[in-house]
Amino acid sequence: MDGRTRTRAAAVATQVQRETEADATTAVADPWITIAWNDPVNLMSYVSYVFESYFGYPAAQAQKLMMQVHQDGRAVVSSGPRERMEVDVQAMHGFGLWATLRRSGSSDGEAEGGAA
Amino acid sequence: MTPFRSAPAGYVARWDDVEREVLARVARDVAELLRAEAGLEPGIEVGDGVAFTGVARVPQDPAVQRLLPDAHEDDADVATEFRHLTQTDLAAGKVARLVAFADAVDSPEELPDDPRVGAEIVVPREGAQEFAGALTDLRLVLAERLGLVDDDDVESLHDEVFAGVEDDDEGWADADDADDADDADRAAGESADDEVAGWERVGLSGAERRYWGGVFVAAGFAQESLVEEMLADLRAGRPTA
Repeated sequence: MDGRTRTRAAAVATQVQRETEADATTAVADPWITIAWNDPVNLMSYVSYVFESYFGYPAAQAQKLMMQVHQDGRAVVSSGPRERMEVDVQAMHGFGLWATLRRSGSSDGEAEGGAA
Repeated sequence: MTPFRSAPAGYVARWDDVEREVLARVARDVAELLRAEAGLEPGIEVGDGVAFTGVARVPQDPAVQRLLPDAHEDDADVATEFRHLTQTDLAAGKVARLVAFADAVDSPEELPDDPRVGAEIVVPREGAQEFAGALTDLRLVLAERLGLVDDDDVESLHDEVFAGVEDDDEGWADADDADDADDADRAAGESADDEVAGWERVGLSGAERRYWGGVFVAAGFAQESLVEEMLADLRAGRPTA
């Protein structure tokens, strides 16, 4: 995971905490992340639509995440407790986007960073 | 096929008969494939490890693996547990919206007097997300069958399909018509490029690639125009789903 991704993860984490005060403590204590992966099929407009409609991100932020997925091959799109990330991953799969969850900062993330 | 446009009744486009028939058929085929691969068929026997124990099987078909993917890249336990908890619901939801898509496209509310203008496809705003999702799943499966693995593959497919549309007004109306061109294609393909193209690797003939490529491009055109309108409504704060 490169520096930019790490910054993004932190920014997303901050947003999630703001959105739900109740979960904030858990999000810090046990942070998991949802990663969305690039594919050649999903349209940029559709990916933006998913990030805006599902996560409620503003258009500019959704656009940035979409471009990060497109160019870097993946982006961290949400973070929080594992149960919440499972819900997000399932929703992404419902939309037809490939997403995975993992514990934030797990070491194997380093090796794969920027692979695409 | 005309692009979807926002209208009072929802998002509206015109699709001609062959476009409706082919896209509906592909959607039903994908629904069937999902049902079978995810073990959703009603006649399943207790004891074969699916219905009774509730253990979700990992799909064997790579296209279905893309629709029901692993939720963790390298932790098999996390992926298996997730699949166990979610796959049946996820697959059933996809099947339902593919069938709804096929029904809507098969049976538009009214057919035009002049078949050349195409029937109106009306996607109500509350059903637009499901309609767009069905188009996504359909395109993901076609992409797998077409061997499209990166952006360049998709781009060259687009170029090829649009070049074909200019050459031949029949477009993707009938796959059989193009069979004669196969041998010439294959010879040209082999001499022009040593690298094996994705569509050759997956065993498609040139005619099959153009046919399914045309369906893929048409589905993408429909989805792109639909999603643009959905995004406009969403950003304007108009109710969507």
